[in-house]
Amino acid sequence: MAHNVRPSGYSKFAKKQTYTRRMGTKKNRAQMLLSERGGGLSLLILVILVLPLFLANNYHYDVVVNIGINAIVVVGLNLLIGHAGQISLGHAGFFGLGAYVSAVLTARYGVHGLVALPVGALGVGILAYAIARPVLRLSGHYLAMATLGVGLIIHIVISREAWLTGGPDGMYVPPLEVMGVAVYGGPVWYWIVAGALILAVWLSLNVIDSPVGRALRGLNGSEVAAQAAGVDTTRYKVMVFVLSAVMAAVAGSLAAHFSEFVSPTKASFLQSILFVTMVVLGGMASTFGAVLGAVMLTLLPQVLADFADYEQVILGLIMMAVMIALPKGLVPTLTALVKRWVRRAGS
Amino acid sequence: MPPAFVEFLQFLLSGITSGAIYALVGLGFALIYNASHVINFAQGEFVMLGGMLTWALMSAGLDLPLAIGAAVALTVLAGLALEKLAIEPARDADVVTLIIITIGAGIFLRGVVSVTLGKDFHPLPSFSGDDPISVLGATIMPQSLWVLGVSALVVIALQLFFRYTLLGKSILATSYNRDAARLMGVNVGFVLLLSFGLSAMLGAMAGILIAPITATNFEVGIILGLKGFAAAILGGLGNGLGAIVGGLLLGIIESLGAGYISSDYKDAMAFVVILGVLFFMPSGLFGRRRTERV
Amino acid sequence: MTLLRVEGVSIQFGGVQAIQDLDFVINPGTIHSIIGPNGAGKTTLLNMITGIYAPSTGAIYLDDVPITGRRPHDLARLGLARTFQNLQIMRTMTALDNVMVGRHLHLNRNLLSCLLRLPSVTRGDRQARKRCVELMESVGLGGYIDAEAGAMPYGALKRLEIARALAAEPKLLLLDEPAAGLNATETKEIDEVIVKVARSGVTVVLVEHDMKLVMGISDHILVLDYGRKLAEGTPEAVRANPAVVAAYLGAVG
Ligand SMILES: Nc1ncnc2c1ncn2[C@@H]1O[C@H](COP(=O)(O)OP(=O)(O)OP(=O)(O)O)[C@@H](O)[C@H]1O
Ligand SMILES: [Mg+2]
Repeated sequence: MAHNVRPSGYSKFAKKQTYTRRMGTKKNRAQMLLSERGGGLSLLILVILVLPLFLANNYHYDVVVNIGINAIVVVGLNLLIGHAGQISLGHAGFFGLGAYVSAVLTARYGVHGLVALPVGALGVGILAYAIARPVLRLSGHYLAMATLGVGLIIHIVISREAWLTGGPDGMYVPPLEVMGVAVYGGPVWYWIVAGALILAVWLSLNVIDSPVGRALRGLNGSEVAAQAAGVDTTRYKVMVFVLSAVMAAVAGSLAAHFSEFVSPTKASFLQSILFVTMVVLGGMASTFGAVLGAVMLTLLPQVLADFADYEQVILGLIMMAVMIALPKGLVPTLTALVKRWVRRAGS
Repeated sequence: MPPAFVEFLQFLLSGITSGAIYALVGLGFALIYNASHVINFAQGEFVMLGGMLTWALMSAGLDLPLAIGAAVALTVLAGLALEKLAIEPARDADVVTLIIITIGAGIFLRGVVSVTLGKDFHPLPSFSGDDPISVLGATIMPQSLWVLGVSALVVIALQLFFRYTLLGKSILATSYNRDAARLMGVNVGFVLLLSFGLSAMLGAMAGILIAPITATNFEVGIILGLKGFAAAILGGLGNGLGAIVGGLLLGIIESLGAGYISSDYKDAMAFVVILGVLFFMPSGLFGRRRTERV
Repeated sequence: MTLLRVEGVSIQFGGVQAIQDLDFVINPGTIHSIIGPNGAGKTTLLNMITGIYAPSTGAIYLDDVPITGRRPHDLARLGLARTFQNLQIMRTMTALDNVMVGRHLHLNRNLLSCLLRLPSVTRGDRQARKRCVELMESVGLGGYIDAEAGAMPYGALKRLEIARALAAEPKLLLLDEPAAGLNATETKEIDEVIVKVARSGVTVVLVEHDMKLVMGISDHILVLDYGRKLAEGTPEAVRANPAVVAAYLGAVG
């Protein structure tokens, strides 16, 4: 797994050397570039800086911004699923709630968008906190069922309370305003979402490489051993659940203002599944895998749109085929390949 | 009969009818889970296939019983193919990966049906007319009796199958302990295949039985599948009796909730209830708490 | 002054009376062994002391403070650490990260600090990493620092469990069959590790079947049989106890 690729250079064979002396060798620099914190973040920023050169029209921006928004959700969800090993089949519910809080507060009550966004994040955080404790007592398929239920209930409420949400038809959302100026158009949103994504990735990488991240992976590996080591496993599960829900909510708010429209499909079961698939497709416990998963699965429907009615057939086939062929996901499989290649080149 | 009672009875009867359908779908989940520890999220698509194929075959000129038989057979074939082509190659994958594979299979099947048979709703004719039967002042449609009767027969037949046939017993043995079963000469691969075939059969029958009441289209399997999953979880995963009780309970609660509280939230009731139950009984009503020895 | 006091503790699983009305005390700075045939209730006892099971009756005190029914992570805070008979390794993590999890309570684990990667977090991690590497070397795992735990051999994992428990700097370390499945050389190495740990001031509770190991290093031995205390005392006293000889040592040969 990619989080194990760390810059320190211990190897099974370098038994006699001391810890510090082994830092900074040539091999380490190669590994550093492969690591998420070292090479990964720089690469992401580079891609983000260069990408606008290739974006020709509004449609391109539209797709790319949506990729960024989905990636924020999936980076958070990866902390929950990939690291803590707790599945959620309902995160689109939180995404949708964030979107609708922003939509309803700004459109119906005239609240400023920059106020509505944190209100949505906080509200979703509180809701997630309230349900996390009982829900995360469950494990495996029971947890899947409970989170699925939470997501469905949110979706149904959004669809039914038409007086507030516009019901299944969705509702219009005013554009975001910053200092009296409406934020409008693909290029501006590109940089907003890019900034938010880089922040999300940075925060995620920080957590992963910290006592909290190790506690999460620890309770995933052995809950009882983590507890015996002093990890309050319930607390950490709740914490990461809330964190991932809040990230989803923020992404939802951004999505609402960006498309200036929200509809219940944002909170649907299928959307939840797509988020989870992005995590697994990119590679569990890999932050950049999460980003890559978001890229692939957001692009896919665009590519498949040409196939019109066959879109679902092909999407289903691809989901099955990739999961069977690469059960570990793209990034871990690729890193393993590259690492093997580096090792061979180095020896 | 006091009108309040008649009303209650009416809700109860319709709840039991849909509950029986959830029970059949839930039983399909339990069967596959027991044999393979996979939750088959394409279970709902078996339900959809049963109804849609029956409709298509009837439109092609077959009469109802023949169309039903052929639709069930085709759905079983789809179940077998799913196991062979998608589940078996991914045997050692994580729970999440398997969930995605089966969901992918569901999306695929929905896509194929929508492309070949269209996206419209189609009713099936009731098996024996539409003259309501009066029960203590409430009415029940003959099709509901079909649902209840056939479901009961299926449950009894399954019970006999597991208790008295070697094949049934080898499925049970595999669900208790796969390795031990293998050592005792059970062909585990075949048992897995069989469990998918059986589940597909249960799903198809549920879909055919309910189609005259609610009509069918390529998407009916989504919500029916989720409710069947809810039924299986409510009863306690892998517990057949639990799935039946869970399904009936969900149906009844849903119907009473829709009748007395809010029909808008009919679909939400099932999930509110299941969350409530899981908060207090993390392994469902009849599930056994698994404790890890350290 | 006793470190741990167990008073009238019982627990049953279904019909099985795993521990029945057990009393004993553990003095600080000793190696206290618990022996008994398979199924005697040794692991169950450890599980109750460390909060994994709550006893159905009786009470447990640590430094005269009642700890009965407290949660495992709470007890870790009070200075308990343990290893597991059925290995509980975080298999997808590196060996070093497994040990770092053991150090959890000594690190800045505030979510906000970790999200922002405050200097206190990186500094703490750096120091902890150094300490954990030392610990791993001290239990003979110097060659496995960055190995993925899931790929390590059984004997190394046994030691990894010990290193992870030691990383918590406990005052009471409970070891559940640390030498099981190891060959003679490995057992001797474990033996040395345990003595070294005890000498550093950590009180050790040792559950073990290897009589040579137990008799060689224990200050005090408690013998369990069918969940009850059969005998206790110094190794010499226990070895000479006719009930023990008859019921346990005799049976083993
Ligand atoms: N979680 C549990 N559920 C049911 N029974 C249990 C559980 N834990 C222990 N037991 C039972 O309690 C008794 C004592 O088991 P325990 O594991 O404590 O024995 P032990 O002395 O550690 O044996 P060994 O030397 O084999 O490790 C056994 O009969 C065992 O089957
Ligand atoms: Mg034991």
